[in-house]
Amino acid sequence: MRAIVVKKLIGPDGAGLDEIPEPQGSHWLSPGERMLLDVHAAAICFPDLLQTRGQYQHSVPAPFVAGGEVAGVVVESPPGSDFAPGDRVLGLARRGAMAERALVPPGYVLRLPDGLSFAHGAAVYINYCTAWYALHRAGARPDETVLVQGAAGGVGTAVLQLAPRFGVRTIAVVSSDAKEQLVRGLGANEVVRSGDPWLAEVRGLTGGRGVQVVIDMVGGDRFTDSVRVLAIGGRLIVVGFAAGSIPTLKVNRLLLRNLTLIGISMDIMEEEHPGTVAVINAAVQALLDDGTIVPVVGARVDLENGAEALRIMERREALGKIVIDVRR
Amino acid sequence: MRAAVIEELTGPDGLRVRDFPDPVGAHPRAGGQRLLVEVHAASVSFPDLLQSRGEYQISTDPPFVSGGEVAGMVIEAPADSRFAPGDRVAGMTIWGAMAERALALPDYTVKLPDAMDYAHGAALWLNSATAWFAVQRAAVQPGETVLVQGAAGGVGTAALEVLKDRGARSIAVVSSAAKAQVAREMGANDVVRSNGPWLEQVRALTDGRGVEVVLDPVGGDRFTDSLRALDVGGRLVVIGFAGGSIPTVKVNRLLLRNLTVTGIGLDPMDHRFPGTTRRVSEAVVALADRGVLRPRIGARLPLEQGAEALRILERREAVGNIIVDVRA
Repeated sequence: MRAIVVKKLIGPDGAGLDEIPEPQGSHWLSPGERMLLDVHAAAICFPDLLQTRGQYQHSVPAPFVAGGEVAGVVVESPPGSDFAPGDRVLGLARRGAMAERALVPPGYVLRLPDGLSFAHGAAVYINYCTAWYALHRAGARPDETVLVQGAAGGVGTAVLQLAPRFGVRTIAVVSSDAKEQLVRGLGANEVVRSGDPWLAEVRGLTGGRGVQVVIDMVGGDRFTDSVRVLAIGGRLIVVGFAAGSIPTLKVNRLLLRNLTLIGISMDIMEEEHPGTVAVINAAVQALLDDGTIVPVVGARVDLENGAEALRIMERREALGKIVIDVRR
Repeated sequence: MRAAVIEELTGPDGLRVRDFPDPVGAHPRAGGQRLLVEVHAASVSFPDLLQSRGEYQISTDPPFVSGGEVAGMVIEAPADSRFAPGDRVAGMTIWGAMAERALALPDYTVKLPDAMDYAHGAALWLNSATAWFAVQRAAVQPGETVLVQGAAGGVGTAALEVLKDRGARSIAVVSSAAKAQVAREMGANDVVRSNGPWLEQVRALTDGRGVEVVLDPVGGDRFTDSLRALDVGGRLVVIGFAGGSIPTVKVNRLLLRNLTVTGIGLDPMDHRFPGTTRRVSEAVVALADRGVLRPRIGARLPLEQGAEALRILERREAVGNIIVDVRA
């Protein structure tokens, strides 16, 4: 089969199209449970780029097939699984998605509704599972206001789309006109710009009280202001550090205003508390089935240009998910 | 009336026991509600010492009567209040308790169970309310394991009692053999010593997993180890900084293990969500009625030695509340 193989851990230039054998056995996360897909589309996120340099915490030596997320048709599924050959599905492969066939762990697979293309399907799993889990762990309740840092990013756009289902009002923080336009189109109730005095603006938008929830994918210098923007009793969900630096906080800031900081990481939670991912899968499946989820695709390339997909990510060019069409 | 009066903000030496005018009107923080109590016992704690130096965030100008907690009999109560003349009550005064008569704050006052004497009553409200609010904000479930820092202190011992009543398992962290004995008497399931390898011991006591919840009135250098003692998905409640220094958290610690850190402060919470304190008071009186809460008395002095009560606090001598008997 044809696949984009990372041959040297030197970044996107170490990846290229190759002819390799089809995957054998089962995915390493589901030993003995072989689930094989005909891949129609693959998608990437930041860890895929890190893996091409061996810089991800779960990196492996070269060679390996690039591509973390996948959508396609089931070829083989294990006995007793929820899926059968011929089913349209999407899921999280972690590696191996940029190929004509890929193995997936059945616990990280969802059904692809008829109305959603494979290209959009490949863009679902990580962003929407993370977004739902963030809103869930925040205990977001109707009529609360949620501030979304990095709102034009993958998880941010997913949070904006899911917010109405939690009954919450959103304030999106973005850094450019193009991103502002994108989040307005996704239904953000208010938009503020990270280059402006956004903290004061958000207070103005909330009657001086601040927001009940902040969802933060960005970290960095803005973090202290994200804590300041919380109302008394508010919760901040730490999803990641896209800005690159890891913030620190003096905990008396929490004491004086009854604030809560919550770190989330689905994988680690699943390891210690099995069943976490199944709960998330069920919730996201329902949101897929009722049409709430419409992923934002920012760039599409053919399989031959899989390495270019990684370069687009490296240049931070795309607004939305970068999808690789394997079968058009 | 006789009263222990802070004349100058110079610490315990600025306190004189002398005649002082009877309180007029309502307590300035009681929203105009005059609740006048014939004082039988007062209790002093750390904020009272800070007030005597002008170092506490909530205070009043000298000369003022010292003493943050009171137990006694109602002389006058607002017509529409839960209290009537003759009721035995206990609660917070913030200042004013070390006198023959004091103004109480209705929301911060409870009816004293018949079985509890005034000396114990004066030690009831602050520690019990703080402990109950902390357990509530942590959403402790029956069967969960809770680590209590500073477990022999006022909030710590009340927390041990509340946890036992809730069906949770407690691990007490204490600094001496005498305090270990206190923690065991108050119902701690396990006791570890802060000067020993307590983190390893806590892990061993929890099959290597760690605890679901940490209640921390101490802060200081131990804070990072308190986070390390949590199981994946665990919650830490920041109650105060009796250790003196305010800790800092690097927030990737929360992300990597799905941890939650919550600060609690009853007064600001009640400002934003009126009724919070009233609910806490109702919970405290219900627990006291059932005999769950048994405040510990560490020292007892007559009113004439009011300054000495503050000095005992300053020297951190007492294990348990410092009670001043106004009517013996």
